[in-house]
Amino acid sequence: MSLLVVDTVSKRFGGIQALDGVSLSVGAGEIVGIMGANGAGKTTLFAVIAGHEKPTSGAVRLRDRPITGLRPDRICRLGLTRTFQIVRPFAGLTVLENTLVAAHYGGRPTRDRRLAERRSLEAIERAGLADRRHQPSGTLTLSGQKRLEVARALAAGPDIIMLDEVMAGLNPTEVEDMLAMIARLRGESGITFLIIEHVMKALMHLSDRILVLHHGKEIALGTPAAIAADPHVLEVYYGGAA
Amino acid sequence: MRAIEPIAWAALVAAGIAVYLGGSVYAVGVAFSLCTAVALTQSWALFSALTGYVSLGAVVFYGLGAYVTVLMFGETPLLLVLAVAALAAGGFAFLIGWPVLRVRGPYFVILSFGLAELVKNLVMLNEDRLGQFSRMMFAAPDLGTLYLLMLGCAIAATLVAWLVRRGRFGDGLRAIRENEEAAETLGVPVTRLKIAAFVLSAIIPGVVGGLATLRTGYFEPSTVFDPTISLSVVTMALVGGGDDTRGPVLGALFFLLLSEVLWARLPQLYVIVLGVMLIAFVLFLPRGIAGLLPKAGGRAT
Repeated sequence: MSLLVVDTVSKRFGGIQALDGVSLSVGAGEIVGIMGANGAGKTTLFAVIAGHEKPTSGAVRLRDRPITGLRPDRICRLGLTRTFQIVRPFAGLTVLENTLVAAHYGGRPTRDRRLAERRSLEAIERAGLADRRHQPSGTLTLSGQKRLEVARALAAGPDIIMLDEVMAGLNPTEVEDMLAMIARLRGESGITFLIIEHVMKALMHLSDRILVLHHGKEIALGTPAAIAADPHVLEVYYGGAA
Repeated sequence: MRAIEPIAWAALVAAGIAVYLGGSVYAVGVAFSLCTAVALTQSWALFSALTGYVSLGAVVFYGLGAYVTVLMFGETPLLLVLAVAALAAGGFAFLIGWPVLRVRGPYFVILSFGLAELVKNLVMLNEDRLGQFSRMMFAAPDLGTLYLLMLGCAIAATLVAWLVRRGRFGDGLRAIRENEEAAETLGVPVTRLKIAAFVLSAIIPGVVGGLATLRTGYFEPSTVFDPTISLSVVTMALVGGGDDTRGPVLGALFFLLLSEVLWARLPQLYVIVLGVMLIAFVLFLPRGIAGLLPKAGGRAT
């Protein structure tokens, strides 16, 4: 059974067809990369899955349960959360307080402060922020804030995390660290990932499969090796100038 | 330092009761005003300082409570009247919460102000229709009784504010203040939490409005819905410190002292000094007087 199913989802913003009949089926523990040029519909796809946008048509199912049109907080409590491309820390709160919100309310909500704290610290540790846990999150470096996005998502205890360009703006060393971290997370926790990334090497390295979007349509879906050799993808990416 | 805090709270409550037992009429009057300010400011801060939805219309709950009280007082027992006042204010917050709390930032500020004015004018219209210009209330309870009830309101508001701040509910509200969309993505039911906090911040002001009107024994819509009340509540929270249970108490005490000193010596300078202080606090002490004290409620791990 697929954990997450996106069934011919379309989304129209006025005259712009942001998504056009996109389908995708993600198995538990899988890492699916999503690539495409700016405006290809990657972030819109995330927004539709996470409940920020209602699709114009089509459906999204999580463990066979339709989640189309549910609010993001409901979807998070059902086990799916996301990070944001433009980081959105709770800037006035410390790193730990940020993750506490997710631990209190997320996929495994609890009123028990100790339990929430334990889960938070575990998430912070995994995201590599342990030494900065009492730092106000607004003062973290960009790389720190990207890690915080991941830490918060982890603290929500999800089955699926959608990472929206967590490596954008990082230097090569930081990208390496982030790559290692995501690979480790998948290995340790079995969390399923959907990853939007412009850093091609990262996507090729991490993904089990890659979905390529172009003007809101799927143009390819397959293993990284297959995608790298796909003539259509190559044309769109490198040779489409004509 | 931390051990001092519970003692300070206990001392405040003890002082409040001591005034009731042995204070002069003047002292009871001053303490009544102080408790009014604490109850209103705690309630305001519970919603506005935690969620970042800055309301300039806090007076609407106070006014509604006052109106319910003046309509019902006489035949009905006092406690029942006050319960209905609380219910009316809370119910009103519940009804308008859903549409009004969809609006954020400066738009919410303006909307909250406008809404309070709207309700004021509706009440005025209704009073006109009934042929009332203002109402006198006879046989109101004595000042001591009213003061004791008001002290209860101040304590209850402080207790509620403290409980909300230290728990999961408070974490959720702060997350809404810091970034509503991120909060929602992490599972925080933002609409439900906002409405719950809004209702919670309305109930005690409803009772306070009723008690304050019983004290003056006189009701006029433009007095109980006076926007100055909203503004002073915001000012006290700002000066004392909003996201801190100690803040509203410190703010209210500070203003009480200030007005006692200034009114007596330099009445013509009162508003000017107030304005200068407000600017100074916003610029140099954004966390208010409470921000100068060691952090409350240890959360270290």
